[in-house]
Amino acid sequence: MRIARITSSLCLLAMLLVAGAGIVARADAPSASAAELKTAAGAAPTTATLANGDPGGSLTGTVSDVPVGDAKVGLTLGDVANQVGQNKIGINFTWTLVTGFLVMFMQAGFAMVEAGLCRVKNANHTYMMNFFVYGCGLFAYWIVGFAIQMGGAAGNGNLGGLQSLNGEHLISLFGTNWGVFGQNGMFLAGHTYDVGVMVIFLFQMVFMDTALTIVTGAAAERWKFMTFAVSSVLMGAFTYPLFANWAWGAGWLSQLGTNAGLGKGYCDFAGSGVVHAVGGLTALALALIIGPRIGKFNKDGSSNAIIGHDISAVLIGCFILAFGWFGFNPGSTLGASGAGCLRIGSVAVNTMLAGCTGTFGALLYMWVLKGKPDAGMSANGLLAGLVAITAPSGFVNPTGSAIIGFIAGVLVCLSCAFVENTLKVDDPVGAISVHGTCGLWGVLSVGLFADGTSNYGGAWNGVTGSVTGLFYGDASQLIAQLIGIATLIGFVFSFSFVLNWALDLFLGQRVSAETEVAGLDLPEMGALGYPEFVFKAEPDFIVAANKAAVA
Amino acid sequence: MAATKSQGRAFTLFIGGITAATAGVATLATGTGKAALFLGLAALLFSFIAFIRIKPEEGKVPKAVESLVMKALGVLFAVGGWLIVLYGIHLTSSVSGRFATTLVGLAVTLVGVLYFLPTAASKNAIWKG
Repeated sequence: MRIARITSSLCLLAMLLVAGAGIVARADAPSASAAELKTAAGAAPTTATLANGDPGGSLTGTVSDVPVGDAKVGLTLGDVANQVGQNKIGINFTWTLVTGFLVMFMQAGFAMVEAGLCRVKNANHTYMMNFFVYGCGLFAYWIVGFAIQMGGAAGNGNLGGLQSLNGEHLISLFGTNWGVFGQNGMFLAGHTYDVGVMVIFLFQMVFMDTALTIVTGAAAERWKFMTFAVSSVLMGAFTYPLFANWAWGAGWLSQLGTNAGLGKGYCDFAGSGVVHAVGGLTALALALIIGPRIGKFNKDGSSNAIIGHDISAVLIGCFILAFGWFGFNPGSTLGASGAGCLRIGSVAVNTMLAGCTGTFGALLYMWVLKGKPDAGMSANGLLAGLVAITAPSGFVNPTGSAIIGFIAGVLVCLSCAFVENTLKVDDPVGAISVHGTCGLWGVLSVGLFADGTSNYGGAWNGVTGSVTGLFYGDASQLIAQLIGIATLIGFVFSFSFVLNWALDLFLGQRVSAETEVAGLDLPEMGALGYPEFVFKAEPDFIVAANKAAVA
Repeated sequence: MAATKSQGRAFTLFIGGITAATAGVATLATGTGKAALFLGLAALLFSFIAFIRIKPEEGKVPKAVESLVMKALGVLFAVGGWLIVLYGIHLTSSVSGRFATTLVGLAVTLVGVLYFLPTAASKNAIWKG
């Protein structure tokens, strides 16, 4: 009975702390509770008892495991309160790190999907781009990217406050201050050498790297490795962090609610816009600059299907990505304890559902209209659904997520056809449509489907209340999302285009015709992806185009 | 030409340059920081000179000359539309007014991205020849 009372008082204390009551100072600890704690400590299992083993688990993890601040005084309520705080932050650190590890593993999925959709003669090169983009991005993000993105993002209570990230650069426009870029955290040195900062760095870094690896797919089979490396470093250092700061790092898009009265500001729970649309739009910019592969288009403008070499890699890669997405979306709560973080279950289910309905959308579209349940497009449908639900996953209900995913599945098919047949842009893996188009759809869908039930500590982006879309009564949220979309297309795309255009002028983005015809593996990487394979002759249209291009 | 030692050296110089330059910015208040920034920028400059020098060694790239005007127009429309959207936030505080300016801005942006730039890319494309 006594233990039950102590337990209930501890629970009450924990709830008070989580609700923001703050740490109870040791000096203020009520004496009655202190006496109870002392009794509880006396009743804790002894080392002799524990030496017999604890197969049921009931003796392990008791009051005797709470560190005592002052051995002379013994266990106090302050000690218990500190441990509760540590536990909350510990749970959130662990959650955020583990989900970050899952996201990191998505790199393997991207590598398999992209390489599988490319021809065998470019397998090594495509795998290597996906491999080295991790290093390029991480390095760039460490030296400067993280500071630009998160250098002014102090105040996250889930991770202990992150108070050393308090350097957002502001500009005053029409009498209002807007955040533009962060300034603290270059090289993770100085005051940002902090446990919480390390956690958020790892988590944000793997997100950034996802955006970078999207681009390699659209430029596969023709991108010069050196220019790819330089472009990836610059994207990880500047392009991605700038927009991510505006959306997630206390930048101006997140302030649209507080400064302009537009809903809760631009809301992008896990990055349909920040990660996927940034990657997809940069992919479009690069694909426009680098041009289509030899043999992709005929003289009359019609396109040829250039078949990838390994559909098994594509489908397995998709499953790895879907698995990693459970880090991407649920992990974006940045914790599993406090501030509404228990919504992680809902976020995870929304993620599953949208991936499922996205697959249905694409598969049924292809089956009904083209006659076959196309494997490559079904895979893209799964990814499209996952991409689309990334922004709204924390704000919508399961029905909403199923609708969002299904629309994304159909949309990716339409977009792939539009990009190829109307824009005449060659995107070997469909990255522009999967990540660009469906990323933008995901951003828009927050402004439509957010149901107003989420409650991450009572406010989002500094505005009290829950994120609510047009269908649930807040039209202004839709405008904030549209402004985000306009920024993605108008600024991020343009910035990427100009940056890569400049790199094309200085470095050259594309390999020579001879290299492209031979396949990039030997000329660019020095080794074939599959040295023991006997290459099958390419289709006639490719052979003819190859001859013309080299001539 | 494909990958060469020259490319490797130029890229190494680039990485060294950007690292030193950012370290310089991070510690700009100190004398060492200023020196690192200077050295980093110099390394970056030399890396780009190296990039330009080795670029012709790549050989014939299967790309036609593109219209600079169309490309510039595309970027101009894309950025211009975005600026219209930004201005619209301050132009009016009504939901419908902001909705209208945002849609107008988006439309202008899309003209740049979906019309001018693809046209510039494919107008003289080699697959047409």
